Order: sequence, then structure tokens, then C-alpha cells
Amino acid sequence: MFLQTVVTGLSIGGIYALMAVGYSLVFSVLSFSNFAHGAVIMLGAYIGLGLVTKLHFGLGLVVAGSMAGAGLLAIANEKLAYSLLRKRKAPSLYLMISAMGCAVFLENMVYATIGSRFYAFPEFFKQNVLSLFEGTCNVAVLDLFAFGISILAILGLHLFLTHTRTGIAIRAGVSDMTMCSLMGVNLDRLISIVFFLAGIFGGAAGVFLGIKYLVYPTMGWVTNKAYIAAVIGGLGSLPGALLGGLILGVLETFVSTYVSSVMRDVFSFGLLIALLVWRPNGLFGRDTGEKV
Amino acid sequence: MRRFLSLVLVLAFCLALGGSALAADTIKIGHTVSLTGGASMWGQSEKLALDLLIKKINAQGGVLGKKLELISYDNRNDAVEAVNVARRLANDGVVAVIGPAQSGNSIATAPVLEKARIPMVVTTATNPYVTLDKRTGKVRPFAFRPCFIDPFQGTVAAKFAFRDLKAKTAAILYDVGSDYGQWLAKYFEEAFAKEGGRIVAKEAFRSEELDYRAQLGKMRPLNPDIIFIPTSQKEAAMAAKQARDLGIKARLMGTDNWGSPDIIELGGEAINGGYFVNLTDLADPAIKGFVAEYRKAYGADPVLPNPVMAQDALLMIVDAIKRANSTDGAKMAAALAVTKNLKVTSGPLTIDPRTHDPLDKPAVIQKVDVTNKSFPFVKKFYPAGK
Repeated sequence: MFLQTVVTGLSIGGIYALMAVGYSLVFSVLSFSNFAHGAVIMLGAYIGLGLVTKLHFGLGLVVAGSMAGAGLLAIANEKLAYSLLRKRKAPSLYLMISAMGCAVFLENMVYATIGSRFYAFPEFFKQNVLSLFEGTCNVAVLDLFAFGISILAILGLHLFLTHTRTGIAIRAGVSDMTMCSLMGVNLDRLISIVFFLAGIFGGAAGVFLGIKYLVYPTMGWVTNKAYIAAVIGGLGSLPGALLGGLILGVLETFVSTYVSSVMRDVFSFGLLIALLVWRPNGLFGRDTGEKV
Repeated sequence: MRRFLSLVLVLAFCLALGGSALAADTIKIGHTVSLTGGASMWGQSEKLALDLLIKKINAQGGVLGKKLELISYDNRNDAVEAVNVARRLANDGVVAVIGPAQSGNSIATAPVLEKARIPMVVTTATNPYVTLDKRTGKVRPFAFRPCFIDPFQGTVAAKFAFRDLKAKTAAILYDVGSDYGQWLAKYFEEAFAKEGGRIVAKEAFRSEELDYRAQLGKMRPLNPDIIFIPTSQKEAAMAAKQARDLGIKARLMGTDNWGSPDIIELGGEAINGGYFVNLTDLADPAIKGFVAEYRKAYGADPVLPNPVMAQDALLMIVDAIKRANSTDGAKMAAALAVTKNLKVTSGPLTIDPRTHDPLDKPAVIQKVDVTNKSFPFVKKFYPAGK
């Protein structure tokens, strides 16, 4: 049972991490919590669903398609809702409120256009489950796939940020936005790229969430767990998002299994509060004043 | 200018008066229903069925010489919103309210309508405390229902599991945030133990949660014969898939909230062969006429059981208005309490004046057949003494 708990925890944590990356990326550059990210994840899931039911794409193309689609949506979201506020030098609190508005707006758009019913992805794998250690532990093939993609994507993002010109410009923007633009970096373009990257991760997370669970307009709200993961790891930090997601997933599963499933959230949110008291910036966080 | 303005105001006032006088020529029936949100599948179908029946009643001359008018508001399957909707309906001057369909929302709505002295007839809210005040233990004078209640439903599920499926051990997975799930889990647990079975695990999750693998993982080594999942189709489908991913082979069993056609698409092979308790069955000869009518009007099957129960609720109200010969709330409530052998869509209906629950509503057991995309009828249970 112990091994099964670890495996289940990691597979839940992997998806938390994938979602947490989107929050962290945007926070690191614009210092606000983009609560519309949950809605982008939800739309990513719908894009994936459309690709598989209408165009009969395979899993790889579905993931790629919804990554691209969600990335573009995230750019549009930034251009329409945040860029004007940003240019007027609005406090980041206003950006966050605008983001909450976007989340509710997008959700209701889906209600009004697609409807409120639930959808399920078709089964992608012939064999669903791998049995390990003489059947004491089962792993869903999809979980392995999702976990692998999550780790690869986060690694890829890390390489992009450390080894490309644009990546270096983003990191420069993270430490000082004004200085960065004085050095001749096109800030609008840079921010669009950051949102695109966040959207890409959101799209992948959306498809995995949709396959693992279901697709429906309010599915984006699960991301509050991912947001907590990002805060635990330290908002704005990539390794933090990964580690925060995995810690939260494993911890939740252990509490449900060995303590009580009803007590689970009492524990995970309790952990969040305790951690913030101990390390207000999370495990890997930079020293910033604002957390929410 | 001022004189002109006051003239306009007076005119507007007259129009408003005239408007309400006109409106008084209809009898307004309120309908609190989840038209959006997780339960909208049933909610939408419920409204369509009511529209159909109201059109029919009005074509036959209405009630007490007046036409019926349905006012449906969306409660989004949310208790707070349900209270708002109840207040709004009271302000609109409805004489009675149909719905809500969910126990939690109904329990929140009942005190509001009781204060406004407007009778409510819920559709599928099966928790005992919808018509019973938990604090005083007395029946709520303005709350009624045409559906069976959860102690009966839980008992039926336990009896079927133990006697027909020969299950000796059972595990329960339920939503701790829902009145419906919490109480059904309890009733099933008691009834299954009484039958002689053993509950090996009782695990909960919080509403809106998606992953139950931790809870299911705990059940796996205990190897229960069945897992009882008193939730809606969405949670049941996810739980079924996750149970299969963990290699759990136990039979799955659910309650009337499973009975939505999309459980087949959502759960796929994983939910195939599961059993659940329901209020009505598409193949039930009693509702054949209704199903045909609904299909003809809307080109689709009704999403049972809500449309049938909503029609039952409306027929109860119409009957009460006729017998009370009035739309006064207290008089209607008194008439509703003694509803006897009334012919409603689901069959004959008699209300128990002590509990405001029906005396004679049977429960059916259906099976989830994914291959043929249907819910074949398995067995019918009648309340004790019938």
C-alpha cells in the first residue's frame, strides 16, 4: 500500500506541477497571480477535446494542438485584459482582480456557447494499467506519459530560460523590468512570450486533466491546488513549482491514506499556512513583498 | 416641463397597475431548478417537461378558470443561490414552488418558503430533512415531495447488494460536502450491517474534488465485494475509472443520481455492469405515454427521473388548488397533505400527512449497460407493507 500511495501521489503531483508552472512564470515577470490561468487550462482541455472528437487526432497531436491553442489564448488574454492596465502602471492588485474577472468571464462564455455538460476523452491506450511488483502496485499508462511530459517540459523550459537570448531577456526582466527595457528589450514582446509559455503548459495540463478526469466549464478551479503548490515552492521559481507540486500531491495522498480522507485539505492547507509562516517566500522563492 | 413629467409618471403608474392586474389573471407557479452547473442535464429536461404539461393544462382551460404560468429561475445547484431564487419567487407572487431537485438546496430553501407561506413540492430531493425540521423533529407544514426518501433508497441498495448480488463485504465512497451522499452512506451502512454484511471501509471526499485514488487505494487491499458510491454521475464515472486504474475488481453500486445517460460516455467500460437505485425507469409502462409525448415534442429522451418527478409535483399542486378551491398558501398546503390516490405521471400517489412523503413509491434497480448504451431494468422494490 505504501508504494501505491507514493505512485498515486506522484501522478497527482505531476499534474499540479504542470499547472503551477504557469502561475510561477507569470508571477516571476509581472508579480501578480494570474487567476485566469485556470480558465486557460480549461480552454486547453476543450481544444484537445475538439481535436480528438472532430478531427480524430492521436494523443501526441492533441497535446501539441491544445498547447499551441492555449498558448495563443494566453497571449490574447494578456493583450486584451492586462496590457492596458500594465501600461497605465496600475498596481499589480488590479491585474489580479482583472485576472479573476477573466476567469469568470471565460467560464461563463463556455457555459453560454458550449454548454454545461460533462465530456470525457476517449481511451487512448489499449492497455490502461501496468502492474508492478507482482500486482502490489498499479500505474496507469497515461499517468506515466503525463508525468514524463511534465518533467520533460519543465526541463525544456529551464534550458530555454538559461540558454537562449529570449530566455536570458526574460530572466533579466524578472530581476528588473525597467532596466531591461532601457537596455533595448521589447517588453511587450517579452511579456507575450511569457504568457505564451504559461499557456503552453496550461494546454498540456488541460488535456491531461481532461483525460484523467472530465472536461467541463468549472474544471479550472482545481488549479487552486496548483496555485498552492506554486506558493509552497515559491512563486516565480520553476524548480519550486515542480517540487511544490510533487510535495503537495504526495502529502495529500499520504494524509488521505494513513490519516483520513476527510482531513486531507485541513492538512494541506495547514501545511501551506505553516510553511508561509516559516518561509514567507516558499521553498525557492525570491524576496518579493507580494504573494497574492 | 414639470407638469409633463408628472403626467408621464402618472401614466407609467397606471400602466404598472394595469400590468399587474393583467398578470393576476394567471396562476404563477415558481420553479427553482439548476439550468446551469453540474445538474443542468436534469434541470433542463425538468423545465421542458413542465412546459409541456403546462401547455396541456392550459389548453384544457387551466385551473379555476385561470391559465397557469411557469416562472423558472436558475439556482445553479448552489444552496446560497437557491435561497436567493426562493426569495425572488416569493416576491414575484407565485402560489407554489416546484423544486429544487437536490436535498442540500431544498433544505436551504424550505425555511424561506415556509416563512412566505408558499407550499413547495421538491422533485427528487430524497433526504428526510427536506420535509422534516431537523431541530424540532416536526414535519415542515409547507414542504412536500413525490419521490421516495433516502432511508428507503439506502435500504433497497443494501438489500439488493446482500441478497441479490450476494455481497458479504462492502466499502463506501461518498461526498462529505453533500447532504445527499452523507446520509445515504449512513443509511446504506446501517441497512447492510442489519442484513448481516460487513462494511470494511467508509471513505469520503470533498465536493468538487476529482481524484479518489487515495481513498480507493485504501480499499483495494481490503478487497470488498461491492463499492457503494452514492454520488452524481460525474463522480461515479471518475471513481469507476480510477478504481479500474488501481486494479480494483469490486462491483460498483450507486443511487438515483447515477441515472443520467451521460454516465455511459463519461465512465466508459469502467462503469459497465454497475447497478443503481432509481425512481423511474424509461421502460416503465406507467410513463410510456409521457416518454412518447416528450420525444415527439423535443426529439430526445427525457433525462430521468427529474422530468417525471417535476410533472408529478405540478400535478400535486394543481390537484391541491382544485380541492382547496383557492390559491391561498395555507389552504393549499392543507390540501397537499391529504393528497390521495392522485393520478400523476409516474402512477398513483398518496401522501403521508405525518411526513409529507409518498406512501407508495417503489424503487427500481437498473444496470449500467455500456455496450448497448442503456439502463436495463433489474428489479423493483416496494416499501414495507405494500
